[in-house]
Amino acid sequence: MPAETSMEEREQLKLEKLQSTLNRAYKNVPFHRNRFLEQELSPQDIISLADLEKLPFMNRSHLSTHYPYGLFAVPLRDIVRIHTAPGTGDSPSISGYTKADLLIWKKLVAQSLGAAGVTEMDIIQIQLPPGLANWGRDYKDGGEDMGAGVIPNSSLSLSKTLMVLRDYKTTTLVTTPAFAEQLMDHMFDQERNPNELNLKRIILVGEPVDRETVAHLEERLHVDIWLNYGLSEIPGPAIAHECAGHCGLHINDDLILPEIINPATGTVLTSGEKGELVLTTLSARAFPLIRFRTGDMARFVTEPCNCGSSFLKMEWLNERADNYMIISGIKVSLDQVKVYLEAALGICDPDCDMDRMRLGGREILQISLVMDDTLFSDEIKNLEKLMFLTEATLTEQAGVPVKIRLMQKRV
Amino acid sequence: MLRIKNLKCSYGSITAVHGVSLSIKEGELISIIGANGAGKSSLLLAICGLMKNWSGDILFREKPLKGMSPPAIVRSGISMVPEGRQIFSPLSVMDNLKMGAYTMYRKGMKAEVKKDFQMVLDMFPILRERADQLAGTLSGGEQQMLAIGRALMARPQLLVLDEPSMGLAPKIVDMIFNTIETLRGQGVTILLVEQNARAALKISDRGYVLETGKMVLQGSSEELLVDDDVKRAYLGQDYGDFYDGREN
Repeated sequence: MPAETSMEEREQLKLEKLQSTLNRAYKNVPFHRNRFLEQELSPQDIISLADLEKLPFMNRSHLSTHYPYGLFAVPLRDIVRIHTAPGTGDSPSISGYTKADLLIWKKLVAQSLGAAGVTEMDIIQIQLPPGLANWGRDYKDGGEDMGAGVIPNSSLSLSKTLMVLRDYKTTTLVTTPAFAEQLMDHMFDQERNPNELNLKRIILVGEPVDRETVAHLEERLHVDIWLNYGLSEIPGPAIAHECAGHCGLHINDDLILPEIINPATGTVLTSGEKGELVLTTLSARAFPLIRFRTGDMARFVTEPCNCGSSFLKMEWLNERADNYMIISGIKVSLDQVKVYLEAALGICDPDCDMDRMRLGGREILQISLVMDDTLFSDEIKNLEKLMFLTEATLTEQAGVPVKIRLMQKRV
Repeated sequence: MLRIKNLKCSYGSITAVHGVSLSIKEGELISIIGANGAGKSSLLLAICGLMKNWSGDILFREKPLKGMSPPAIVRSGISMVPEGRQIFSPLSVMDNLKMGAYTMYRKGMKAEVKKDFQMVLDMFPILRERADQLAGTLSGGEQQMLAIGRALMARPQLLVLDEPSMGLAPKIVDMIFNTIETLRGQGVTILLVEQNARAALKISDRGYVLETGKMVLQGSSEELLVDDDVKRAYLGQDYGDFYDGREN
């Protein structure tokens, strides 16, 4: 059997994967090729992991600009799964996966579930909003791969979800912090005792959570909470996972190479400094990401971890480096919502504020819109109709529930 | 065990290998897959010291191989079974095996050589039957067994096999691959270069795919076996139309 992998061997393997990723991207994706040429570089100029700094960043707008298949690095006939995320511009972000991509991701998700103590004796229930449906599939695949029983993601009412959770003897729930809190509140409102459940752990995905919320959920639901970090567009969930130490998330840096940069200047920050997380895929066949700016703020944890994992560790911070808001785990571009709002109302630069709110246990995007003469109508019915239609349009376009609140003009 | 970083090989003004990185851990069986002209053989020639014009780093057990002569590289523990066997046809089977043990004799390890003879003849009983026969009169499969046996006589830490299935009947190929698997089970680290991608990947831990001198893919055998790019690299096909095969 092969010997244990040393630190030098792991670094070598990362370089090998990076170089072949760049070779494939350069050869098959005009977008990547042109960016190399603009920098007067070729993939052969990247001879160490540190050379990655020479390459330009990718961001979410590139995913929309190259809609639908412009960033695919394999022919369409190799693609076995296509997924759509809302995106930042007029077009959604499309991602594709080959058979090998799905195989690799399945193993990665299984590894993250394993780190949370999930075994083949567990029953995993997945409860994610439609915007994170692709994660639902990945968690299903990962859970099945490790031999656990999986209740796949489906849109059930809160009380039905609770019924499944109780009657099917679910031991592990994969969901967003917003839903976990909604579930907890619902149980207590309905005077349901958490002892009725077999639930041992909740794996929270989609957004960072503070220790108080975690402690509150753990205490009231009698469970252990584990955080997973992922990207909703590509390549998927469970890029980083918490270990038993619960002090930071281990990034699977054998498959994804992370950097932390200063979001304002783009310079790479040294270990331990807070900045924007930038990711480069090392294994993705269909859709390589090269220096993708996630907008998520994080810092690398330099202290060694007690769990013995050799994966790099990061602290996921509850801040953003971009103008996005996370609603029920889904990233929403506030700039894009404003564009949608302008189009729906037919006015330029509407005066508004946007906030994340709880409504009936659900997280929504609330737009506080300042009334002015262009919006005003002498028939209240017309105004109500316009707001209703705008809410419906924005909800459909942004992929999260939107409510509009009309405000008086600011003085 | 073997770490190659940014290897470039050229023949005059023609570059055959463009900055390839590759590594093998102790005990691993690694396959390199690629079509003709992908740079596989150039890579092996550089490892074995048979190519002059290369740049980059090749480290074997943390020691650079740059500037070492082929015999010194064999002494350090790398043995190669070359493409097309290249056995000594006018010599007997036994003498061919003795040639493989040349470096062992030089070290005065006669007792070990005697043991190795038995090991090789046990592994390939047909060679025992043909011990005194001229190597050139053996069949293709037997010659391949002899070439592997000869390489094993040097007690390699890393065994490099260049296209061991080439020109052999399917049944013999199965036998050769079974032998490679057995050797791997005995703890020999193996670098296997093959055009027979599926057969090679089935017995390998990991694989690398070379295309026109560049590494375009690597991964566990399980991942590569489901990858369409592997098929393309092996067949030397290009992408053609992006929508090819998915059009109405």
